[in-house]
Amino acid sequence: MARLTKGLLALGAAAALTLTACSGGPAPATSAPADNGTSAPATDGQLADTTIKILAPSYGDTSEADWNRITAKFNEEHPNVKVELQIAGWDDFATTVQSRIQAQDLPDILNDNAFASSAEAGLLIPMDDLLSAETLANIEPGLLDNGKGADGTQWAAPDIASARMLVYNTDLFEQAGIAEAPKTWAEMEAAAKAISDLGEDIYGYGMPLGAEEAQVESSLWLWGAGGTWVDGENLVANTPAAVEAFTQMKKMFDQGLTQPNLEDDRQATTDLLAAGKLGMAVGHGQVVKDASDKGINVKLAPVPSKDGSGVATGVTDFILAFDNKDEARKAATAAYLDLFYSDELYEPWYKGTALLPVTKTSIEAAKAGATETDAAFLDAMDIVKFQPVSNPQWDALQAALKANAFRVGTEDPQAVLDQVEAQVAAQA
Amino acid sequence: MSLTATPQMVNQAKKRKTSAWGDSLRALPWLLPTLVLIAAVVLYPAYLMIRTSFFKYNAMGIQRSPDPVGLENYIGRGGALTFPGVPIERILINTVVWVVVVVFVTLLISLLIAQFLNKPFRGRKLLRLFVILPWACSVVMTTTVFRYGLQQETGLFNRFLVDVGILDRAVAWTKDPTAAFWIAVFVAVYVSLPFTTYTILAGLQSVSKDVLEAAHVDGANAVQRYWSIVLPLLRPSIAVAALINIINVFNSLPILRILQETPGYHTGHITTTLMYEYQTALGPGVSSALSVLNFLFCLVIIAIYLAIVQPTKEVA
Repeated sequence: MARLTKGLLALGAAAALTLTACSGGPAPATSAPADNGTSAPATDGQLADTTIKILAPSYGDTSEADWNRITAKFNEEHPNVKVELQIAGWDDFATTVQSRIQAQDLPDILNDNAFASSAEAGLLIPMDDLLSAETLANIEPGLLDNGKGADGTQWAAPDIASARMLVYNTDLFEQAGIAEAPKTWAEMEAAAKAISDLGEDIYGYGMPLGAEEAQVESSLWLWGAGGTWVDGENLVANTPAAVEAFTQMKKMFDQGLTQPNLEDDRQATTDLLAAGKLGMAVGHGQVVKDASDKGINVKLAPVPSKDGSGVATGVTDFILAFDNKDEARKAATAAYLDLFYSDELYEPWYKGTALLPVTKTSIEAAKAGATETDAAFLDAMDIVKFQPVSNPQWDALQAALKANAFRVGTEDPQAVLDQVEAQVAAQA
Repeated sequence: MSLTATPQMVNQAKKRKTSAWGDSLRALPWLLPTLVLIAAVVLYPAYLMIRTSFFKYNAMGIQRSPDPVGLENYIGRGGALTFPGVPIERILINTVVWVVVVVFVTLLISLLIAQFLNKPFRGRKLLRLFVILPWACSVVMTTTVFRYGLQQETGLFNRFLVDVGILDRAVAWTKDPTAAFWIAVFVAVYVSLPFTTYTILAGLQSVSKDVLEAAHVDGANAVQRYWSIVLPLLRPSIAVAALINIINVFNSLPILRILQETPGYHTGHITTTLMYEYQTALGPGVSSALSVLNFLFCLVIIAIYLAIVQPTKEVA
């Protein structure tokens, strides 16, 4: 009984707090820094008592500490704003976000790799309402554009970038007598064949078309064929270029140049690469690190394309701000985000992700002292193409690719892509 | 004493007539918690599920239509039964095969084990304890052990099968929908055995020794005694075990979910796992529609079972 009374008291107190927060909300918002976009947030100590919630994925062991460092700094200036942080694993992150949205428990700040569905549903606050002009101006424009919706609104701001390139095992290349990384599909096929011939359990190219990354692998082959998913306002799966790309993928599989199961996830090919059993695979920094840690010598190159011009996938993750219809929370969110992008705090944060920075100042700093791997990725930023994440149809296309792409091994490429297109169309 | 009714008796009779209502009313305070609980955790979610199945949602779970969309989520262009690329007939057949095979095989093996555990022998208590073990472990954990063991590159089962010469080279069992389905059947039987065995064992212990002795004296052999006496007396236990297993197995998500590593709408789904697939790929609308159908489908299977076996005759 005592516990119940305590609980009720706490509930009452919480309700009272919320009410105060609401009533106290609008006043400071008018003087909030983000609204006029001129004054720096650090000079403003007038935020109302409130709580903001952050939902972020785990990029590595330090993710929670990296966020807490920013929060600690934020609380030095705004001790009256409580910051609640939830860190969730990447493998199930979409479900976590989904359940928070369905439970109407919208995080004020979300770090995610997609924003189109939430933007289309009108759940987000545009970034130019929150970030100061200086902060926005300091984000690399090419990457910032990736956070624009189909309507041109800046619904999300990139927070880290990464590129996927061809990672190849130089020892296997040497053994097979191949001098340098392939540039065209024909060279790639020849290289993969020479490497596959080295041994029964050695494979030329890792092609993970499982539920994790089928969309990345498919996109790279499509771009390699000179195609794109985008057709005006729509995304189309079964274009002639896509069929050509999938035909080439099938050709690789049929000749036994890939790992035996196309439904593998990225982790499976990463493991093969780290075990020295795979000649080539598409990968990011972590893949290179995993392989190097095991003593495997790997190098980076652009992903081969049909004509030899080379491609790479760019991936940016985003900061999204959900609209909780509460001016106090909005003002606190704005102040927090400006602090997040400040050089002093952003640099250690992005380094914790082991990925690439997005602000101009950090990119400059990174280029100066970059390792060979980072330099290769930073250079690849010129040829990267981005997946059409801002198109609301991308979610459907991505899901359909994840569900069907691996079947190219056993079925006709045209039929597989028609199936993908049918599934996308059924959700329109 | 006269036989004419006194006013007092009339009053009492009147009271008795109204007492049906009165009884219910008086029982209400005791029933109320249960009723509230049923309303909160059964009826309200069921209502929500049915309601959700008539609205359009995107994959994130954001409602996309202010008005109901009719049967769009059931048989529309992207509906539960008609979504392109979903082998729905095969999945419905799988569901029936899954329930019938798992429940039937479980019952058969349980009858054997229970019979054995009913015999007095040294160490019987210990053995009975071991039979419960799969029940005490989490299904997810048990299934994960099988999944890891069956991995192509690193799996112990694969290694064993290759080393003893049964297989030429390791097979990716969990990446072939059909193979994974039958492995799931095996695992489902394995985890259902303890409960079923114990239900039947309890039934066996209630079979009176006198009856069996009498039959023995009358010259009935072991098969006759089992077939004509033990099995009919076990009918209530078997009926309960079968019914609970049918519902359990039908709704079992984790076993197939963990053992099937093929992405998408493959031919190794049952309706319950398909529902999960829809929930992540298409959102709550279509998923709820399938959930409603799944519920009806489960009812049909149970109805067929009740019609054929008529277990309630004994249970009641």
